[in-house]
Amino acid sequence: MSAILEVHDVRKSYRLGGIPVPALSGVSFNVMRGEFLTIFGPSGSGKSTLLHLLGGLDRPDAGKILIDGSNILELGDNDLAQLRLTKIGFVFQFFNLLPRLTALENVELPLVIAGLSEKETLERARKMLKFVGLEAREKHKPHELSGGEQQRVAIARALITNPAIILADEPTGNLDTKTGREIVQLMKNLNEERKQTFIVVTHDPQIAQEAHRTVHLKDGLVETISENKPPTRNQ
Amino acid sequence: MMRVSKILEMAAANLKQRKLRTSLTTLGVIIGITTIIGIASLGEGFRFEIKQRMQSGFELNVLIVFPGSLTAGFGEPFTRSELDNIRNISNVNLATGMKTLASAEVYKENGTRVRALTVAGVNFSEMQQMLPKRFIVAAGNFPSENDTNTIVLGFRAGTNNSIPVVNIGENVTVSASFQVNGTKFTHNETLTVAGILIEGGTAGITNFDYWAFISSKKAAEMAGGESYQIILIQVNDTQKASQTAREVENTFTNPYRVSVFVPSSFEQQVDNILNLLQIFLTAIGAISLLVAGIGIMNIMTVSVMERTREVGILKAIGAKSRTVLSMFLAEAITIGIIGGLIGIVTGYGVSYGLASMLSSLIQPQQQQNTLLSTPEREPLTITPKFTPEWTIGAFIFAIVICVIFGLYPARKASKLNPVEALRYE
Repeated sequence: MSAILEVHDVRKSYRLGGIPVPALSGVSFNVMRGEFLTIFGPSGSGKSTLLHLLGGLDRPDAGKILIDGSNILELGDNDLAQLRLTKIGFVFQFFNLLPRLTALENVELPLVIAGLSEKETLERARKMLKFVGLEAREKHKPHELSGGEQQRVAIARALITNPAIILADEPTGNLDTKTGREIVQLMKNLNEERKQTFIVVTHDPQIAQEAHRTVHLKDGLVETISENKPPTRNQ
Repeated sequence: MMRVSKILEMAAANLKQRKLRTSLTTLGVIIGITTIIGIASLGEGFRFEIKQRMQSGFELNVLIVFPGSLTAGFGEPFTRSELDNIRNISNVNLATGMKTLASAEVYKENGTRVRALTVAGVNFSEMQQMLPKRFIVAAGNFPSENDTNTIVLGFRAGTNNSIPVVNIGENVTVSASFQVNGTKFTHNETLTVAGILIEGGTAGITNFDYWAFISSKKAAEMAGGESYQIILIQVNDTQKASQTAREVENTFTNPYRVSVFVPSSFEQQVDNILNLLQIFLTAIGAISLLVAGIGIMNIMTVSVMERTREVGILKAIGAKSRTVLSMFLAEAITIGIIGGLIGIVTGYGVSYGLASMLSSLIQPQQQQNTLLSTPEREPLTITPKFTPEWTIGAFIFAIVICVIFGLYPARKASKLNPVEALRYE
């Protein structure tokens, strides 16, 4: 099994009122291809910061992040955007759907940005919505959907470009327990069926348990990496 | 790369989302373009009308020479040798003298006065060559070279509401008064009407509607000598008219002896003045469009702030900075295109409305009939002119303004840090 993502001694600090506040103080771990990994820790432990760095939304002060063996920190802004478009899918705590667009249009958006034909975009978006069980809701706008439904749309959007890695930042944080479990189950199913790598940030120990492995983060450092189940490989 | 059609589609959807804001922003552009187009089409129409009138009032290849000057007043009439000097100038094709008889009046046999306000002695064949489009008889014929006992009347002198008041072949009496050494004497001459000129049209120096013409020989006989109050010069090259005018002046030793009126340079000057006026008015229109541009910048800056999170989302899912830039710029350009198109239509609409208002305001004034002017017959009608140059120019200007003022907020949006943008509430 090869590592799809390698994190080497990544450091990042923020300036708050001129004083540097460390968020990550040298984090290293690997993520295997097809793995379902959770990053677990209390709030303020640097989970979200780490996830943003992994997705190329932000740049660390020091360290290396390798995706498929190449350091993404050597990429320019445009190449980073291209990387996010083709290799990475984001799922957020607050769904982050565009309120003006319908569920279908939200799912289409990455392909629209990529400049695919209208026909192909529509076909793939419909298929994706069906995949997350929302084919009946394609004309609905986000405010007409429940939280769970909105998160399914967001997952469909993250998956439509068929990225190698899906990064989810507290995907159940804004959902009730039951819906949250359903969303986690959906992601687990997708992970198993589509062999895509999932990296899920959470502060919910129960969700962390669902992953193959969990990276425990505390005060910007990796405390431990625990194995929950043997990773299901290429099944 | 995102398709242009998709970018425009999304821009249109975003603009529709904020209808009131979009329409108010667009209104700014509409007002600016309306002003520019309105002024331009009215100005072009006005210029065209003035040009037409000048061209129908003056032959542009004909210079008019008066004795004396504005500062020194009317001088002694020109002599035969002075006329011959002018004839020798290279660009002069033809020069002919006109002898106007002071306070001459024309009466019919029954004693009623014919409305000929000026009686002039001319060489008929030279006059026909000089003004081939104007010196034409509507009825009768021009007298032959040696025929000194005939008279030709201007249109208004010979007719009243287009009905002839004098018949061809009828005798009239020309009564000219002269003052010689303080004593006034009158010379009466009975002449036969040979012809009536066509209507002169608009005012101008060579509008002869209220004139009567007799042969120069007869005029010299009546006034007691050969001399000319006006010399008309036909030039070969109208472009060199001003230069020829200077050469004419140089044939006289006394600079106050002569004034040369050059219609083509007069026309040029009037054109220059109209140009200046139009530039000034267009500048006002341009300023209003500039104000509209600042409005666009203001609204777009607010819009970018409101949509910070949206920009963060777009970037997170892989939109490049230039994609975000073009999405926001597309909104500004859409406002420019829509505002420009509506502005062009309303601009021409407003100019037609204003034209009819202005035309009714500028009615012909009641003028007294003088040597140099005859009353206007036609009211001044300004018809706005559709000029593709102005239309396309204004349209491009609208878009350029929108791009310039939309660029800053669009750049601001494109440079947003995605993490911070996503955190924005």
